[in-house]
Amino acid sequence: MLSENLTWEFPSSAEEAAGLLLRPGALLHAGGTRILKTCPKSVKLLIDTGGLGLDYINFTDNAYYIGSGVTFSEIVKYPAKGKSLPLLQSSLSGAASTPLRNRITIGGSLKDFPLWSSLYAPLIALKARVEILTDKPAIHTVEDYVSSGIIKTKHLIKHLIIDEESGLISGVKKFSILKFQYPAFTIAIALCMKGRMVEDARLVITGVRNRFMRFTKAEEMLKGKTLNELTLEEVHRHISPSFMSDYKFSASYKEKAARIIFMDLFKEIKGGMR
Amino acid sequence: MKISININSRLKELEVKPNETLLSALRNNGYTEVKCGCSEGECGACLVLLDEKPVNSCQVLAMSIRNKQVKTVKGIGTLYLPHLIQKAFVEAGADQCGFCSPGMIVASYSILKETGNRPSKEDIRRGLDGNLCRCTGYVKIIEAVGMAAEKSLQEETQKPEAVCTNM
Repeated sequence: MLSENLTWEFPSSAEEAAGLLLRPGALLHAGGTRILKTCPKSVKLLIDTGGLGLDYINFTDNAYYIGSGVTFSEIVKYPAKGKSLPLLQSSLSGAASTPLRNRITIGGSLKDFPLWSSLYAPLIALKARVEILTDKPAIHTVEDYVSSGIIKTKHLIKHLIIDEESGLISGVKKFSILKFQYPAFTIAIALCMKGRMVEDARLVITGVRNRFMRFTKAEEMLKGKTLNELTLEEVHRHISPSFMSDYKFSASYKEKAARIIFMDLFKEIKGGMR
Repeated sequence: MKISININSRLKELEVKPNETLLSALRNNGYTEVKCGCSEGECGACLVLLDEKPVNSCQVLAMSIRNKQVKTVKGIGTLYLPHLIQKAFVEAGADQCGFCSPGMIVASYSILKETGNRPSKEDIRRGLDGNLCRCTGYVKIIEAVGMAAEKSLQEETQKPEAVCTNM
């Protein structure tokens, strides 16, 4: 349980919130669902981000800017233009349950990155970027944000930036026993096509041993080719995710399931091209 | 700490602890129609509308909802003035032990509002995805929401059209 001696602050600007965050034991409170689950005992100050005006979704200069206070439900309901945002919407529409999606925010979910996250695989596949506010404001790709350890530092997330890619074909699939359960892993595929040729490929899985991985060998193999030039077996050979066993599934079971689900998704995307 | 919340269209001042959930704050202040089930956001027994959106009140820290609007099942309809959804639940036999009913009604209310009383079966199933019932097997609940939607639509169409008198 969270301490009874908590204090709360309700800043009205992002800069004020970033300043408060430097205090010892300070933690940002966005939707709050994860804070209640983990109940971090070291927390002495909760900084509510509800008054920061970060609940916007804008489409400007061919990119989406999604404020960190936007909930999963708001993203799912947003009338998307183009091809990038629908991949994220497709993934988030099946995340948790309706009442939880009404509370879970982009900012909280990005900072926390639980293993079952439905957010990260599509974001990495979309080459999304995250703008953070600290003493040194910066923009990082979501992939760098996690792999370089920035995720562990104290910072306020301003927004996500997702570029619209005109030649994008994509898909996302999750693995869970029941539809509404937290997925054991999520796979996202984004192929940037020039005509019928794959110009760029991002094949991502989350829920693995190192939180996420990209199948870079398969990506390289796809680049510069048409989807018909490659057999599924050729791609399949380079799909080798590494999992940890948990109380639901063994690592080897998840590896087999991930390969099957990856190939199903790949076939669907390939089929959609015809 | 004191916070102001609008509960069921009435402004209330609640004394809450800084680590207290909305569920606990509501129940400690007499709103016992909001049920405590799993306390983990899984069962939906504690569902309330927060600014018209269904949320698990066990997953909301009370301090974070100052000046917002909360609606419990009693804000939708009462024993003496039941809402169409509540009537439909009774008619369809959609509750047995009744523990999940407050949350189910709140979720159903939100489904009808979001779909303009025209929910598909998939909309209903999706809208109830955060509510567990251990008695009914959901079939009658889904039927009840459909019935309530139909009746709400009928009521809408039966409303007399406004007549302009300033000719």
